[in-house]
Amino acid sequence: MPMKWVLHWHPNTGTTVNSQILNEISLCVECINGVKEGRWKAVLTFYRPILRDQALAAEFPRDFLGLSLPEEPNKYYFILRGQRIVLEADSSIQVIMDKLQSYKSRVSLNFEGTQYRLGDFQVRVGKVVPSHSENMRGIVMEVEYLPISSTEKCRQIMAEFVDILQEALSKRSLPGQFMHIEPNFAEYGLLDHYTSQHTAIQYATVMAQLIATVQQVQPMRN
Amino acid sequence: MSSRLESTFHECVVQGIIETQHVEALEILLQGLCGVHRERLRIHELCLKSSPNLGNGTSEFWLVSDLEQPEPTWTVRHIGGAMRGAGADQISVLVRSVAESRVSKNALRLFYALGYRLDHELLRVGFSFHFQRGAQITVTVSSVNKMLKLHAIDEAVPVTPGIQLVEVTAPASGENYTEVVAAITSFCEHLAPLLHLSKPGVLTGVVPTAAAAAASLMSDGGGTIL
Repeated sequence: MPMKWVLHWHPNTGTTVNSQILNEISLCVECINGVKEGRWKAVLTFYRPILRDQALAAEFPRDFLGLSLPEEPNKYYFILRGQRIVLEADSSIQVIMDKLQSYKSRVSLNFEGTQYRLGDFQVRVGKVVPSHSENMRGIVMEVEYLPISSTEKCRQIMAEFVDILQEALSKRSLPGQFMHIEPNFAEYGLLDHYTSQHTAIQYATVMAQLIATVQQVQPMRN
Repeated sequence: MSSRLESTFHECVVQGIIETQHVEALEILLQGLCGVHRERLRIHELCLKSSPNLGNGTSEFWLVSDLEQPEPTWTVRHIGGAMRGAGADQISVLVRSVAESRVSKNALRLFYALGYRLDHELLRVGFSFHFQRGAQITVTVSSVNKMLKLHAIDEAVPVTPGIQLVEVTAPASGENYTEVVAAITSFCEHLAPLLHLSKPGVLTGVVPTAAAAAASLMSDGGGTIL
């Protein structure tokens, strides 16, 4: 499958994300001839263990994530970042997790927005919001280069394309910028050929960055 | 089995045992009844259970790999509770819920990290028949083996030497399970001279007529209707 980068919006110190910034980013993509293709939505779920003795919570992972992706509607992904594990499963694994009653969903976040096409690139811009809420927690952008599946071969052309996007965005004087952190896919046992498991790891990485950003902002508010 | 709904279903099941010396006769009988060729069966099964502090109670599931596939893959298989009530007690077939999900090969590592432990593992070796006969019926005849060393499937030894497990299953829905139960019950009557089939956990042993029925089958190649 085509190589993809998942980027997150890093707000300038003292600022937060809002729908105005998201609108400006969308307009910017349209200004560089991005053609709207429709909507997209991914759902990331935080799981926590169901414990009989809370004192033993340290024995169980606290960073257990589940992810559904629009490009693989019949699949579901589990990620344990701390232990560098990503698992691809049929979506029925969610039914099995419900039946096992060992972990339960703590919170789900929707990554949703608009999909654009720019030549050989597909760009998705969207907000991060908790399910059942409109309180925006972050902004993400997926950039996919459709002709190539190799993470290595694609790196330069992806970087050049993202530079063009960043430059166009910089003209709008927005309070922040997109950041791309490429995880070490080899640590998860993944190869150079890009798969949806690579995407799942990128989502987990972006989520960790969004949490870190919120934790940086909150002490300042206090 | 790609969508979420298709991978969760009801399963009707009966089990029985047969002496290994009569398995060839059973195969001839099944071949005659089903009209299809048998498929080789070699399945590695790992039973995983939650550690004591995890979950409201102990939970378990199976991690299953069909080693006959060119590139073996893993499936998580959860067997739910059996259907209960007066209706369920009166039928001779167990109806239970099953959920399956194909998973990538690092599933064992993930579930270990989540707090699950290997309870035991088995290697089933034998054959199966898949056919339509009032329901989509699967008959498996297998020797159940245990591993003396962790995951050492090449050194597996039979749990019950000389005895093989026969299992008849068919998927069903909440609406049609009575028809599926009837189809399995009807099919099992044809096997009665060779083995008793009953709900899992109900021990019925081997049947006294097995030797004579097997001898008959072996002599005429399954042409006689028992």
